[in-house]
Amino acid sequence: MRQSQIRYLGLAAAALLLVAACGSSTAGTPSPSTKVVKVGLVTDIGGLNDKSFNHLADVGLEKAKTDFHIQGDVTESHTGGDYIPNLTHFATGNYDLVIGVGFLMQQAVGTVAGQFPTVKFAIIDGVGTDAKGNDLKLPNVVSLVFKEQDAGAMVGVIAGMMEKDKLTPGKTNVISAVGGVSIPPVNHYIAGYKWAATMEDPGIKVLVGYSNDFTDPAKCQSVAKAQIAAKSEIVFQVAGGCGLGALQAAGQAKLFSIGVDADQGTADPSVIASALKKVDVATYTAIQSVVNGTFQSGALTFSIVNGGAGYQLDNFPGGALPADIQTEVDSVMAKIKAGTLTPPDTIPAG
Amino acid sequence: MATSSVSAAGPRTPRIPEPLRRLTRGLAVPVGSVLFAFVVGGLIVAGTGGDPVVAYQGLVCGGLGILCSGGENSALQISNTIIFVTPLLMAGVAVALPFRAGLFNIGAEGQYLAGAVACTAIGVKFSTLPAPILLPMVLLGGMAAGAFWAGIAGVLKATTGAHEVVTTIMLNYVAQWLVRYLIIGGPLELPGGFSVSSPIGPGAQLATILPNDNHRILFGLPSSVYRIHVGLFIALAAVAVFAFLLWRTPLGYEIRAVGQSQRAARYAGVSVRRTIIVTMLIAGAFAGLAGAVQIAGVDHNLTDIYFSDTTGFDAIAVALLGLGSGVGIVLASILFGALHAGGSVMQADAGISSSLVLVLQALILFSIGANFLSAIKVRLPAIGRSPSTPPAAIAAAATATEATGAPPEKDTS
Amino acid sequence: MTVIGDILHLLTTADLWQAALAASVLLLLPALGGVISERSGVVNIAMEGMMLTGAFFGVVADLAWHNVWLATLVAIVAGGAMALIHAVVSIRFRADQIVSGIAINIFAAGMTVFLVRRIYGVQDIGHVGPSELLPNLNIPILDQIPFIGQVFFQQNVVVYIAFFLLVLVQVVLFRTRLGLRIRAVGEHPHAADTAGINVYWIRYGAVITSGLLSGLAGAFLAIGISNTFVPNMTDGRGYIALAAMIFGKWTPLGAFLACLIFGLGEAIYANNSTIHVSPYLLSMLPYILVLVVLAGVIGRSNPPAADGIPYVPGAE
Repeated sequence: MRQSQIRYLGLAAAALLLVAACGSSTAGTPSPSTKVVKVGLVTDIGGLNDKSFNHLADVGLEKAKTDFHIQGDVTESHTGGDYIPNLTHFATGNYDLVIGVGFLMQQAVGTVAGQFPTVKFAIIDGVGTDAKGNDLKLPNVVSLVFKEQDAGAMVGVIAGMMEKDKLTPGKTNVISAVGGVSIPPVNHYIAGYKWAATMEDPGIKVLVGYSNDFTDPAKCQSVAKAQIAAKSEIVFQVAGGCGLGALQAAGQAKLFSIGVDADQGTADPSVIASALKKVDVATYTAIQSVVNGTFQSGALTFSIVNGGAGYQLDNFPGGALPADIQTEVDSVMAKIKAGTLTPPDTIPAG
Repeated sequence: MATSSVSAAGPRTPRIPEPLRRLTRGLAVPVGSVLFAFVVGGLIVAGTGGDPVVAYQGLVCGGLGILCSGGENSALQISNTIIFVTPLLMAGVAVALPFRAGLFNIGAEGQYLAGAVACTAIGVKFSTLPAPILLPMVLLGGMAAGAFWAGIAGVLKATTGAHEVVTTIMLNYVAQWLVRYLIIGGPLELPGGFSVSSPIGPGAQLATILPNDNHRILFGLPSSVYRIHVGLFIALAAVAVFAFLLWRTPLGYEIRAVGQSQRAARYAGVSVRRTIIVTMLIAGAFAGLAGAVQIAGVDHNLTDIYFSDTTGFDAIAVALLGLGSGVGIVLASILFGALHAGGSVMQADAGISSSLVLVLQALILFSIGANFLSAIKVRLPAIGRSPSTPPAAIAAAATATEATGAPPEKDTS
Repeated sequence: MTVIGDILHLLTTADLWQAALAASVLLLLPALGGVISERSGVVNIAMEGMMLTGAFFGVVADLAWHNVWLATLVAIVAGGAMALIHAVVSIRFRADQIVSGIAINIFAAGMTVFLVRRIYGVQDIGHVGPSELLPNLNIPILDQIPFIGQVFFQQNVVVYIAFFLLVLVQVVLFRTRLGLRIRAVGEHPHAADTAGINVYWIRYGAVITSGLLSGLAGAFLAIGISNTFVPNMTDGRGYIALAAMIFGKWTPLGAFLACLIFGLGEAIYANNSTIHVSPYLLSMLPYILVLVVLAGVIGRSNPPAADGIPYVPGAE
């Protein structure tokens, strides 16, 4: 019995190999005469379905594929040990641009970009560094950094004004944020949020908690519930896929929540606004610069100034912001753009 | 070939040497299982609209450096695979050894992390020491930390009977949170709030096998892309030590005796309690060494990557697939390492989600498990089961297959 | 020592215990499944994979048909299907059950992500509307009792089902003839066979039941607590359930105690916005607690005698 099983398997394998041999002739077809720009995207370990910036980067890539007719390929990193092999794979494959997502990849980008000076690299949320965290300032690397604090500030203004105007059911003057892990991108958001809310409403209390997770909605939901039990009325999620649970906690308590990174208005009816981090725009811009030959190393900062960070109104009760809140939001935005107000990037104490 | 052994009467079979025949018999089912997995995986890909040929081409190219059609550099693929293989060898041993004693070391991950933490802590604290002193320190420190981590479970099991599956799973989580505690706002954090640790001193770094030079071209690429390091030799030596320990030392005999039957072992004068503790200590040392080697050879610092590390869990599959033998562990590690490396290339080149690799791994495990009955029963007592008197059939099969690596001939129709 | 004070204060609030109970259910359901399966003699470490599969198919079904009950049924069946694979491989093919369990977990992790990508592509899977989720249910009158009312009677419908099942499984396993048969098959299958009990049917039934329970847990996670599928959203709960089962000495009530400890730990941790201690140290709490309780109080756990041994008739 086992013998014939093995024989069948052998036949199947031989058949597959035969098809492979015949098939491989097409795989080696020379590319068309016009050179197609090749872009490779390497995601972080959250994968393409992280409901956060890996997904957004892919969205930007797809849009660039449609608009510029480039060849775009993606590979997901499953462990930290995949960063360097994935980046190197695209670099050795004559890709024109290799994009890494996430600051955990800083060192990997620094290493690989140094090995392949003729390939261009972009990294989201970081710079190419050495082992000590020093920016190597490589000529073939562009950092796409975001001032998440700008986006956090925008929604912080809304939240602060809501409490100040007593638009919330309980009028407790407490709001909160649920962070994924205490890492810079997350903390930037929270910093802007707390700063702006306190600026608008000095008596406000802002609770900050961490779920220590980006993928398990139950964990963020329990953190949010605890914050709601501590009287929070507006919950700002900064935890990717996990944070969706926080939005739902707010919805179940008939309170309000704020989404992050992308427009999360459809995730739950309680989402009144989302703090936007336009990773898709950043990715698209980087690709565009390579296609147009205008690539420049250094840092591209996406903030409220160039529309790379911002906010989106979602299911606000009544459909639109009350006039005084809207005025305040616009005013703060204008001040940040002008430089007269600067949201901090570390969470204010107190 | 349904014959059990070379028949005494009748014409002699052609002169295929017995070891070779045993080897092919031993390999037949694992190879068949891998083929089976690939066929089913190919059907899944095809059934969902993908091209299995292109997918597998990417997989094999990325894993083994062969059949590459897109200009991928074979030396680079092989180098990347070896990087994945190295920690699996040692972690695989860390799971396989306790299996022999009837223990399920599902805590290899925590022990691995303990080793990585120790290596980092020592490598950072004493970063100015030169290599001949610092390198042994970090590696031995890693082994000690891993041994300690496993030892907790071992001691608890031997004294209170606390089940090692529960205790090691708990310790896994504690180790994970310890990593985060240390590097996010903790004592090991690199100044600047990066949520990564400071790098270990140069004396703690394992040398790469090829020169780490961005400008020297080897096999068509800057030689620094080949990250393989001397930790590979440490890993292979670890597997050899494991095999030697298990088959050629009195301790190894005691371990196997306890694994077969604790009662019988006690009658034979073996201290079961001591053996359990010692086994877990040694296993933890192997896993801790794997973690230390990974830091010293590849990453040179501790980052949040380690929080989500899965080496210890992959090692369970490696130990199961390798049937707990040294050669088996090596082959299984190569297989899993190649699949890991190949999956990323497959996704980049063929657009098939690298999660397919997980499906393939599962299929391989299924078919190995379903085919390889008796040998597995011998080597892997069930969780926590203290086999008092194994059924006669198993005992007989055990003695028969003890010295060989091949399964007894058994018709499974 | 204000941290201790904070935690002690928390322990007096109904909110905390309400949350702890809900969190424990996600562990309790797969743990019950594990208990049933292993009591019949089949080692089952595949709860993680069965739960994840249930979660995925629950979301897909709910998004397609907008009916949470139907979707929950799909999730339960999906969990059962995974369990069927484990059952066939373990019972019919007599494979090593640890291998099979691990394989199921790996298979589920890979297959769910693979399918998300294949079915939904770049779009990502989307969200289930709030009216299409497993609902919370306040039991009238009882929920007004101070403290206890909030803790026990203002929960999700699945929580009530889980506690009903807890009692049911405990009673069936230890006080009915069916339970006796299941345990006989797990302790002395040959004697049971001789007594006319069909070992195979019992084992298949037990393993599939464990899959059904894990699938329900997956549905609770994905279309009760959450409203979408995130890769690996089960987050190791299946393994914790396994630990809980062993900790509980393969009894439903014992397993529940362990699940409660974890639920408490998670609920306490959720308050890290107001407790002033490193969230990482706080996260270690439930695991260390289990270690201490296990070593100090529970001690040795012995599985059913024939647990993990494939049944070969006449091989006694």
